[in-house]
Amino acid sequence: MGAISIEKLDHLYWLGRYTERVYTTLRKFYRIFDDMIEAPEGSYTYYCKRLNIPDIYTSNSQFAEEYLYGKDNPDSLYSNMSRAFDNAIVLRDELSSNVLSYMQMALDVFESDNHASPLLELQSVIDYLLAFWGCVDDYVEDEDCRNIMKCGKYIERLDLYIRLEYHTKDIEKEFRKLLNRLHKTQMYYDAAKLEKLKDMIDAKIHCPEQAEGKDAELLDYLGNIIEVR
Amino acid sequence: MNMEQLVNHVDGINRLLARYGVKFGIYKNQTFHEQLFPFDAIPRVISKDDFALLERGLIQRVDALNLFLKDVYGEKKIIKDGVIPEEFVFSSSGYLAECEGACPPKDIYSHISGIDLVQGKDGNWYILEDNLRIPSGASYPLIARELERRVAPDTFRKNPIIDNRNYAKMLTDTMEYVNTGGIRVIMTPGRYNAAYFEHSYLAERTGSVLAMCSDLFVEKNHLYYRDYRGGKQKVGVIYRRISDEYLDPMTFNPESLIGVPNIMDVYRSGNVAIVNAPGNGIADDKGIYYFVPKMIRYYLDQEPVLRNAPTYLPYYEEDRKYVLENIHKLVIKDVAEAGGYGVIFGNELSKEKLEDMKELVTRESRRFIAQEVIDFQDLYIVEGDEKVARKADLRAFVLSGETTKVWPSGLTRFSRNPDSFVVNSSQGGGFKDTWVLSQ
Repeated sequence: MGAISIEKLDHLYWLGRYTERVYTTLRKFYRIFDDMIEAPEGSYTYYCKRLNIPDIYTSNSQFAEEYLYGKDNPDSLYSNMSRAFDNAIVLRDELSSNVLSYMQMALDVFESDNHASPLLELQSVIDYLLAFWGCVDDYVEDEDCRNIMKCGKYIERLDLYIRLEYHTKDIEKEFRKLLNRLHKTQMYYDAAKLEKLKDMIDAKIHCPEQAEGKDAELLDYLGNIIEVR
Repeated sequence: MNMEQLVNHVDGINRLLARYGVKFGIYKNQTFHEQLFPFDAIPRVISKDDFALLERGLIQRVDALNLFLKDVYGEKKIIKDGVIPEEFVFSSSGYLAECEGACPPKDIYSHISGIDLVQGKDGNWYILEDNLRIPSGASYPLIARELERRVAPDTFRKNPIIDNRNYAKMLTDTMEYVNTGGIRVIMTPGRYNAAYFEHSYLAERTGSVLAMCSDLFVEKNHLYYRDYRGGKQKVGVIYRRISDEYLDPMTFNPESLIGVPNIMDVYRSGNVAIVNAPGNGIADDKGIYYFVPKMIRYYLDQEPVLRNAPTYLPYYEEDRKYVLENIHKLVIKDVAEAGGYGVIFGNELSKEKLEDMKELVTRESRRFIAQEVIDFQDLYIVEGDEKVARKADLRAFVLSGETTKVWPSGLTRFSRNPDSFVVNSSQGGGFKDTWVLSQ
């Protein structure tokens, strides 16, 4: 408790990112899963392309299983949940056992053999992750700790919202949240890149035709404003 | 005792233990696996009188062991006076010449001692071994009690059980007593250590900083914790959960990647307290165990309150003769092994293997000790719908700070195998809470 080492900074930031990755992509997956009921085979391809993950899937149903639970698939939600957990488990002294327990339970859902009705089962992952963030606000005393995690969370959310073509209003809202956290934290960030990012998001909102085709550049700035490993 | 409510909820408690990640790690085929540590709800119950006896005996023993450590790395009177043969000290892998002359703050070497005992069917307690390096296990009954009270309040309302949740406070006080001025750190080799849960849980409960080697550095003969903004905080006491050999690559194993270079210089200068002190391995060597009752008489001029399990040193001719004649009914322990490994029961060996063992004991007499198999009390555990008796030991925790204190609880480990005496978690055992009664 108290001083945050470089190692812990890294874990806090990536805990925020991976937790958010699981949360937002899982919520998105609910929609995709629903669409796939009537959609032709291979309808997940667009999603893979947007997320820039390799399309290694062979059918809609195989995608549903493998993208959620694939143990050896680095892009599966299970793999991302494991990474979130790996970052959390080394932070018990910062987070507390109560906070950590929600990560454990979310991981346990992925690790259970019950895949019969994935969306039914994975609803509890969403619940646990929401509880996790609620608990973070309640139990994690160190404000810097919370801010670092939330910087990770909002950077990841913005990244996913941009990739998944969320409405610009949502992007603007999340960017404001990121700025708020970034200014509160003592982390080093690249002010020039942040300024550039601000301009690009402004352009995306107010002059979409000008911003067209620039998402890759935008994502690059976003991923590099904070100096972590 | 009324513990029905508790026993009925054992599955619930195990679920909660899983939720809180109460696990231990184990390497199988060079791969790390984390396992839940199965909890059995029927506690070991220690009466008030029994605990008073244990308390006296354990404090006496740990005080003597601390005096031994001071002596053996200092004046060596016990060797000069012929109480312990020097070859038992200097040939032990636990003896570290690098610790010669280093005086830990307040002369305390073993701040946290884990003493393993069993209770014989005759009611007597026997010490099986002393663990003075980095004994683990206190966190398990500590968290279990928290959960037991949650699910079975009546059990605790109706029974006079001493609250054991003061362990974190005892540990904090112990660390603070030797603190040389700075923050408290619990140093872990990382999450792939067998006892990682304990490291992180104790850091949380004591409000200490959980650090890895990369977070710590030595500058101008002081130890510091480095924060991410480039600032540093002086460390006054470090509860290190890594072995001596990895602690400082400049002093011990030069290939260690999990130690802190030059920390031993800081320690020798008295600028940081290391909990437990480096070099303690000499005092919990299985060969030295034989001499602990002699140490108690030598340093404290008292008769030992608690007995050792009857032990023979093949190093002594008379003992060797006895061991060779009775090897079929003795338990042979390799002094270099730990964690339930290197323990051989003579009655389980074939004729040929017994002969091989005899030859080995004769050839490498310093390497082994032999003990009578104590017919110790079984404890009941719940298996399915029935209660079955299993072998169990007790690890008592003795903390040495301003005074020496015994934690009124302890880790009771049991074997799940009906034919086994080995209770170690790494060999499939489970654990129970240990209740000490106040009346």
